[in-house]
Amino acid sequence: MGDVVLMARQVYYEQLNFWLNPIGAVFTVGFSVIFLLLVGSSAGHQRSSALGGGLLISYYVPGFIAYGVMAACFNSLTINLVVRREMGLLKRVRLSPLPAWAMMAAVSANALIISVVQVVLVLLIGRFGYGVPFPHNLLALVVVLVVGAASFTALGLGTSTLVPNQEAGAPITSVVFFVLLFLSGLWFPLAASSGLAKFSSYLPVRHMIVAVYDASIAQKGVSSWPWHDLVVMAAWGVVAAAVAARRWSWAPRQARSGRGRRLSGTGAAGRRRSQ
Amino acid sequence: MPAVVVEHLAKSYEGNQAVEDVTFEVAEGEVFALLGPNGAGKTTVIEILEGFRRRDRGRVEVLGYDPANQGTSRELREHMGVVLQELAVEPFLSVRQALTRNAGYYPNPRPVDEVLELVGLSEKSDDRVKSLSGGQQRRLDLGLGIVGSPRLLFLDEPTTGFDPSARRGAWEVVRALTGGGTTVVLTTHYMDEAEALADRVAVIDAGRIVAEGAPGSLGGRDVGETTIRFRLPGTAGAPPLPVDARVSGGGAFEIKTDREVEVLAALTNWALREQVDVVGLTVERLTLEDVYLRLTGHAPDAGDPSGAAERQ
Repeated sequence: MGDVVLMARQVYYEQLNFWLNPIGAVFTVGFSVIFLLLVGSSAGHQRSSALGGGLLISYYVPGFIAYGVMAACFNSLTINLVVRREMGLLKRVRLSPLPAWAMMAAVSANALIISVVQVVLVLLIGRFGYGVPFPHNLLALVVVLVVGAASFTALGLGTSTLVPNQEAGAPITSVVFFVLLFLSGLWFPLAASSGLAKFSSYLPVRHMIVAVYDASIAQKGVSSWPWHDLVVMAAWGVVAAAVAARRWSWAPRQARSGRGRRLSGTGAAGRRRSQ
Repeated sequence: MPAVVVEHLAKSYEGNQAVEDVTFEVAEGEVFALLGPNGAGKTTVIEILEGFRRRDRGRVEVLGYDPANQGTSRELREHMGVVLQELAVEPFLSVRQALTRNAGYYPNPRPVDEVLELVGLSEKSDDRVKSLSGGQQRRLDLGLGIVGSPRLLFLDEPTTGFDPSARRGAWEVVRALTGGGTTVVLTTHYMDEAEALADRVAVIDAGRIVAEGAPGSLGGRDVGETTIRFRLPGTAGAPPLPVDARVSGGGAFEIKTDREVEVLAALTNWALREQVDVVGLTVERLTLEDVYLRLTGHAPDAGDPSGAAERQ
């Protein structure tokens, strides 16, 4: 059986597992739509000086496209991997004939598909709900989405090796994610010269938001090909991939209850050498 | 060709020598149990056989392959099935979806309906995994282990944490599955499980094998001491026994001896001659637990089921 078919089947089952989990599906896909509707209805018609007087809604549509990609490829992926690792599910895969690359490719493809679903939903709501035109440079947007998805997937893989256990996994990752989104200008545009913009320009989140915006909205004097942002995201992705490769574990990190219960007394402990 | 060959296996983690020196062989078609308390090294040994951990020293051959060889690891895994200790299947898939997915990993899988039948989950085939009881999930685990028609099946503490009836149910499934010449390597800290399932048992303690053999004769229990107990009415005298007996109140006798035939003959002949009523006569060999205690110097650990002490 061709390995490509094997990988495609695995993507199918990853998708099944995602969509059959109602809470997971709503939280990941639903949020970008819900946030867009909430924010768009309340503040969308206002204008922002940071946008040179432009309508906020035209900022939020690309903003939530960026959010959707990052939520699926980073937030959701990290949590998913941590939970599966700690449950012993990654170990099981490693013991089956499914090659490791096929598993990783399927997990990434799954995140990409979920990202695409969100992008399409947000674009359609933006266009037909709020009259925001379709992206100005569609090709550039596609490139941004591909680079963004790859970088944030790498960040997800890397972060999953840093989170200590499955109880802390979801809260820690989500809190970090949402704080970063706030600081990077998802909820309100940042003036390019502001301290916050400068600070968050060291992190990849802002670059995704700016890159999607620049490809979507034509601006005087600004190229619709955000090369600088793509390079920064790619650099973060490479570093994250290196961290993931170094620290990757298929086995659970945390032992179950009864950890550290060593045999004591009659000989057993004494027979263990410390070297 | 033996299914599994292990010679002088050693493995340590972070200064802890989990496996010191382990040697054993498993013949094809045999059910082999590695019996020992938690922390003895069982899980480490089985993870090395499965190819999940790399050994420090020693020779290992599983179905003719070296599990540490990355080049052949996929081929080995196609002939191998694993049932792990923790129950873990993606909760939102149905039983059938989980089995079908795993069947697709193998070159010659068993038909999913056949597997459902074998593990007794045919009626639950469209139920979500999360709605199954613990026992049913364990049966699904067993199904996932055999769906690939493995030549060798690893069972790592398969009934830990189960109540007695669920355990017996699981044993029945294992027996049904292993009829067809599948080799089984099982780790457990339950004596009765080793006795119920295994053709041969190796007792492992603190990273070493301390005894090996058929459960019935392990540690010489078939030729060792026997315990004879009986009660005599107060009016009877003392039987002329060739060995000393321990007598407690109410005329209860207990004799530990390896000359059980002599003792029984002396007792029964005397009782028949003197017409004495011997009550509650029992003759018991060493239990596996006694053997275990003698071999390892401590009682088996029935408390902590996780084996987490060795896992890092």
